[in-house]
Amino acid sequence: MPATDTVDFEREFEELVRELRSLPADAPEGVRERVRSLGEPTGHGAARERLLALPWRRSLLVLAPACVLGLVAAALVHGVVNSDRPAKQLAQARTHRQAAAGDAGSSTVPEKSLNYGAAVAPPFASPLPTPNPNRYQDYEAWMRVRVKDLDSLTDRTNEAMQVVRSYGGYVASVEQSTAAGQPGQADLVLRVPVIHVEDALVRLAGLGTVVERHLSIRDLEQAVQQQRRHILQLKLFIARATEALKGSLPADVRLRLQLQLQEARADLSRATSANKATLREAALSRISLTFTTQKAVGGAKKGGTGRFERALRDAGSFLAGAGAVLLFLLIVLSPLIVLAMAAFWGRRAYRRREEQRLLARA
Amino acid sequence: MKAVNAVTSSWPGLGVDRPSFSAVAESELDAVHRYLLLLTGNRAVAEDLTGETFERAFRSWRRFDPRRGTARVWLCRIARSTALDHFRSEERRRRREERYTRGVRESEDSDLGSGVLETALALLSPAEREVVALRVLLEIDGPTTARVLGISATACSTRLSRALQRLEEMMSDARH
Repeated sequence: MPATDTVDFEREFEELVRELRSLPADAPEGVRERVRSLGEPTGHGAARERLLALPWRRSLLVLAPACVLGLVAAALVHGVVNSDRPAKQLAQARTHRQAAAGDAGSSTVPEKSLNYGAAVAPPFASPLPTPNPNRYQDYEAWMRVRVKDLDSLTDRTNEAMQVVRSYGGYVASVEQSTAAGQPGQADLVLRVPVIHVEDALVRLAGLGTVVERHLSIRDLEQAVQQQRRHILQLKLFIARATEALKGSLPADVRLRLQLQLQEARADLSRATSANKATLREAALSRISLTFTTQKAVGGAKKGGTGRFERALRDAGSFLAGAGAVLLFLLIVLSPLIVLAMAAFWGRRAYRRREEQRLLARA
Repeated sequence: MKAVNAVTSSWPGLGVDRPSFSAVAESELDAVHRYLLLLTGNRAVAEDLTGETFERAFRSWRRFDPRRGTARVWLCRIARSTALDHFRSEERRRRREERYTRGVRESEDSDLGSGVLETALALLSPAEREVVALRVLLEIDGPTTARVLGISATACSTRLSRALQRLEEMMSDARH
């Protein structure tokens, strides 16, 4: 135990040290009895005491890396678990779409819209939601297809127009834009008979790499039935009114009936036009097709990204999220932490000064 | 320094063997009393504080970790804290009393003993007496003493040197 300075003071003040050590200062018997009577501490509350006995500074050195490792492990697990999500989502979406398309016939909602989001960019080899041939439906598709270069853009645009015509459809509009240094783009609005839409979409998808797709099926059955009932009522009224006008009627009644008949005929004309428009809508699907030479942003590659890459990306997102939460907490709590630290150090300094003052008293 | 070689108990949570409280109390009682006697300079107060120190140690015995220091040092920390609490309460009491009895100052009389050395010790400040107690009487090494006192090792060494110097001067003055 004796250190160098111990040896020094023991040599320098040898006699004084000897005298000091020979001072009678043993504890009196009363104190000894008092201490002996304490006995041995019981194990009551042992767990709590042991927890308190842990060296916290050293524990932090272990706990902090352990927390970081835990977070990284959680991120990796999250990434691995979610890496097969696109495939699952696609399968779920497919099932959902097919069920929705099949159920549309029993729908009580007059106009039903089913939108399938762009989060998934599946290859078009997957089955498409098919229109229900027993019901009037408005089928709309929006597709973004990537092609190799500007030459391909023109070729594919022409091919798309041919595909549509081959199915008895027509091209409602074409807009192609190309500029030097900019990605080229061609926007086509195509109308294809509903009965051929599925085949047409598969062929159109084959013209490049599908990077985005939306599908919408809106049920028109109830709208058509309402229009038909309205037309029938108008026709009945017109027939009755025409019949009534053939007989003898008071002048004012005749005049009123003639006006009503005129109005009913105008209504009938409008209702018939609306009905034809609805039927046209139901007969022809609308395909908005965009060809682009630009690479997909956050891109779905042809055939999808690798599982490992997705796992890493998910893990990275998880860690970034955790980091953002920690940063937020740090920013929010930093004033409190600074205050707490200042209070702690202030109190410590005060206690130290107070101790010095108390012990300096002669 | 007496070695604590009495009954030991294992500490399964930390995988450490350590002595029993009663064994530590038996072996360190005189050392703690000696330290408190020098620190307070009052026999009655030292006895009282010794008892209180061991009661506190008894309550927090589970927190004692032999890997972080000897039982003597751990007990000295508790004793010091107990003594400082006593000094604080004494100061508060004195201030209270001074408010009503102005000019009459009562101080805790030193009764270390009537010998020359005891008288000289009584003239030192508690801070000086405690460093002498820890370093000379209890034979605790410099760095550990500095940690107990909450000062640097250099300050501790200086304080000890000054205290011994003063003591020696007072002793030689008294002898001549």
